[in-house]
Amino acid sequence: MTLVFASGALALSASLSLGTYFSARHLLVEQRERTALRQAFTDAALVRDRLLTPGSEGSEVLGSIAPATGAVMYLHRGDTWYSSSLDRPRQDVTDVVVRTVDAGSAGLAWTDLTDPHAIVVGVPLPAVGASYYEVSVAEELAATLRTLAWALVVCAALTTAGGALLGRAASRRVLQPLGAVAGAAVQVSAGDLKTRLDETSDPDLAVLVGAFNHMVDALHERIERDARFAADVSHELRTPLTTLTTSLGVLQGVPDLSAGASSAVQLMATELARFRRALEDLLILGRLDAGAGEGETVTVGARELVRQALQASRRPPNLLSTGEGTHEPPVDPLLDVDRRQLLRALINLFQNADLHGGGLTGVAVDAVDDHVEIRVRDEGPGVPAQDRERIFERFARAGGAKEGTGSGLGLSIVARTAANHGGDVWCSDVHDRGGAEFVLRLPRSGASGTAG
Amino acid sequence: MATRLLVLEDDDGLRASLRLLLEGDGYEVAEAADAERALELVHAAPVHLMLVDLMLGGMDGFSFIRRVRPTTEAPIVVISARDGVEDIVSALEAGADDYVTKPFDVQEVRARLRALLRRPVLVAGEPAGGHSSDGAPRDDEVFVLDQEDGPLVFNRGAAQLSRGQHEIHLTMTEYRLLSVMAENSGLVLSRSSLLEHVWEEGFFGDERIVDVHVRRLRKKLERDPSAPRTLVTVRGLGYRLDTR
Repeated sequence: MTLVFASGALALSASLSLGTYFSARHLLVEQRERTALRQAFTDAALVRDRLLTPGSEGSEVLGSIAPATGAVMYLHRGDTWYSSSLDRPRQDVTDVVVRTVDAGSAGLAWTDLTDPHAIVVGVPLPAVGASYYEVSVAEELAATLRTLAWALVVCAALTTAGGALLGRAASRRVLQPLGAVAGAAVQVSAGDLKTRLDETSDPDLAVLVGAFNHMVDALHERIERDARFAADVSHELRTPLTTLTTSLGVLQGVPDLSAGASSAVQLMATELARFRRALEDLLILGRLDAGAGEGETVTVGARELVRQALQASRRPPNLLSTGEGTHEPPVDPLLDVDRRQLLRALINLFQNADLHGGGLTGVAVDAVDDHVEIRVRDEGPGVPAQDRERIFERFARAGGAKEGTGSGLGLSIVARTAANHGGDVWCSDVHDRGGAEFVLRLPRSGASGTAG
Repeated sequence: MATRLLVLEDDDGLRASLRLLLEGDGYEVAEAADAERALELVHAAPVHLMLVDLMLGGMDGFSFIRRVRPTTEAPIVVISARDGVEDIVSALEAGADDYVTKPFDVQEVRARLRALLRRPVLVAGEPAGGHSSDGAPRDDEVFVLDQEDGPLVFNRGAAQLSRGQHEIHLTMTEYRLLSVMAENSGLVLSRSSLLEHVWEEGFFGDERIVDVHVRRLRKKLERDPSAPRTLVTVRGLGYRLDTR
């Protein structure tokens, strides 16, 4: 926008300057020509009067008249040319003026044989059989025009600079609110639905600010309504689902069920278990979406957290890597976490490895700068590159995943938990051994301790 | 005599299915759809364990637990759709022994009921263990916690806590918590370590639940629970049982 304003100012100032220059030049030239003509006619009259005096010679006559400053007089009588200046040859008198005068009329023309240019005026003097010419160098006119040109160039430059500054100020005024809107939009898209633009007294911007804030309000309300609806529905389903599972427990205890009935009961048990998992995960996601903590934030070692998750999910503690090539107890980098949420996220990763990755093969904890990376490895076929982001979406399954084995929400819960803790989770290959590696990356707490 | 359970649940379907399930497991089941009726049933005949919903019409589950707790030692298991930590802590503070969130796994509930019903203090007239062949308690099962103002003795084998001749009732969770702390007396136990050892069933609830039970236990161990001298807090680390 600054460039547009500067270009516009340049074009405008250049046009005005050129117009001013040529108008002024035309006026000054016209004025100079009138002056030259008037002077030439006055001098010609003097020359004629002196030539009418008997015995007078052209050279004497020209010598007796003082020419105007910078002017040279010429007299052509018979075949002889007379000049008031010894060092200015007759060539200054242009042929076109000579021809006009010879035809009996006064003539005027500019000549570039001098520097600066000069005005040549010719006046026929038929009464004395002569022609009078006066060549005036337009020195003051050239100086005036030069000064005017420089003044106009400076004005045009200043106008262009002013235009550029004006453009910059205007673009800032226009783009600053747009920048604020863009920044707020980025924050909203990142999930911060509390972002709002500050109120403004500028009536032009107030409309934009109002519309943006209204849009975010509507979006926030809609997301909350959807989350509330999902949570309400899930909550209302809890008791009937409990009744179903309890009744199924009764059926499973009945002796002597026929083979068909027994299979039906088993199918119901499988599906109810799946339903229950989905319901629980939906409720968990609802809480995570609402940003609700489930417990107080505690500072705990990452390795200790993994050990507790392995124990809580009845997995052998030796799945936690102790570090290679060292006999020192591994340093346990500290995390500030909602313990319950993080244990659930880790167990979800373990279950994912068991369900889709051929079994959990190991968990490693690495401190990387100011973060901690918990790596959960399996020995399955790995996750195709094109599915590695999609598997963290709700109810998404990678190409080869078995149907009906999980709720389809486990990895979404991991991703949401990581995000709520200022961290991230992603999937990659374990290049040397095959299988997939899920990396849960969390910000490290200020201090670090040693595993006990 | 069959073990008598009380089911306090206002949802007819769930109450009926629980009754069928528990009767199938050999329990005698008394049902109540509201707290007032449940109080009548508790007062009418001894109840060995109660399953209590929190959200009820009229008196709610929290109030019921607070009303019934001083009158019976029977374990109380809360069954609720509310799964917030605040609800769990409030229920335990009120006097509940366990908390199960709906929808629950039937096998898990069965296991929890069995564990709570195995509580030694309920086996009237018979020691739960820890006695030598001549009937005397083994030394490694008896912990003298405090000598002032009459000895405070915890007989783990017999699941008895007594100060002089006065026996102090312990719930199952309190018994297990005190057992773990007595075994490690003088050592600091972190809240997560206590969670692991006292709540064995893969429970990974909030550590504030440990605090709730420590507070409850202090009321029984300490002369001044607000200035504990036996079960002390080690700031930032956990809890330690000091025997004097």
